[in-house]
Amino acid sequence: MRHGQRLIRKRQTMKTIIHDLGKEQSGRLLAAADQVVCADGRYAPCQGCFKCWTKHPAACEMRDALHQSCRVLGMADDLTIITENLYGGYSPAVKNLLDRSIGISTPLSTYRGGQMHHTLRYGKRRRLHVIVYGEISDAEMRTLTLMTERNAVNMGFREHSIAFCADAEAAGGMA
Amino acid sequence: MEKTVLVNCSPKKRLSVSGFLMKCAGVMLRGKKEYLHLRTPADRKAILHALTDAQKIVFVMPLYVDSVPSHVLPFMKEMENFCKENGLGLKVYVIANNGFIEGKQNEPLMQVMENFCARSGLTWCGGVGIGGGVMLNVERIMLAVLFARMLLNMLLSGVQGESILEPVRSFGISLLEVLLLACGIIAYTVRLALHINRGTDAGKRYTRIMLPSFIFILFADIFFTIISILQGGFFRGWFSRFQPDAHCGIISVKEE
Repeated sequence: MRHGQRLIRKRQTMKTIIHDLGKEQSGRLLAAADQVVCADGRYAPCQGCFKCWTKHPAACEMRDALHQSCRVLGMADDLTIITENLYGGYSPAVKNLLDRSIGISTPLSTYRGGQMHHTLRYGKRRRLHVIVYGEISDAEMRTLTLMTERNAVNMGFREHSIAFCADAEAAGGMA
Repeated sequence: MEKTVLVNCSPKKRLSVSGFLMKCAGVMLRGKKEYLHLRTPADRKAILHALTDAQKIVFVMPLYVDSVPSHVLPFMKEMENFCKENGLGLKVYVIANNGFIEGKQNEPLMQVMENFCARSGLTWCGGVGIGGGVMLNVERIMLAVLFARMLLNMLLSGVQGESILEPVRSFGISLLEVLLLACGIIAYTVRLALHINRGTDAGKRYTRIMLPSFIFILFADIFFTIISILQGGFFRGWFSRFQPDAHCGIISVKEE
């Protein structure tokens, strides 16, 4: 395993995992994916400047480790998100990474799923799978199910699915 | 006297739609009001402090990737603990806005806020989800420019001995057009403010800029094209499928 030292070449079908289980879990998760992104929550949040669309496409204005996160996510044909539940949404660390990756789309708009969305820089992709761990209520489950569906449309995935499990260890095993 | 805390959750320093909507809603509220901005972790303490003698809180926020912006989530967690520890039973209202035309796209965000209230022992009182919110920014800037133009034209008309009513009439028509486009947003914001004043449940309501979606999309495309050209020039890979650089540091990849 290497951490960001290699020029990533696009495989025929690229499977990517985003997780908030801690960096030490990345190695284990690599058995089930081509690339693994650990969302550790140590990055600045999106500033809403849209410069990843307008000024320097597909690159964030902030030159930290998430500077090109949209390019990494854009290459994923199959994207698995492993996240702790927080109020029926993603954990702050995972959400931070997704917010900083809107460069996977372009600034121009179109209709997708009967609603307005941005056109996709990397085209339609295969599958979004979300694995949620942690204590969760029925209402939060419904919200996460809706959010997975909305994210799939937004990010251009043809299929989507969601699974719930009790704890982080079980979530890592489900990837 | 009841106190309402209004929190602008936009990460933008200025000219945010959320900030504008917060002020619009705020002017209609009775009682004591406190306007605060949640941008950085340093802002959290002041907001929590303001909540200690408040009865209501209004979150005004943009929709980021179908939900609450990531910098707001740690604050919500902190607020949950703070409210539980201090036995605060606030009423929570939300005004959400998104760049797409459909206000309904704010639904997951609204549900997250409702779930947050359930976890924190707070009273969820609903709110408004606004589509095409970014256009409010364009409209208010346009109105300011048109108002300045009206004043200039009135001055010129006065100097030339012509009627100064014509520039006023022209501005009045523009104002009506803007109000018409925003009539849903105005109506639902007023309705929400009335509920906040009474402390009652407003339910969830969704509205939008009153334009057909295909025209809104056309405007949005023109807007971003102009901004792209102004910020960096023509065609710098607007649609290119960029690959990450070798030094991209966030990922772990398999050895070949």
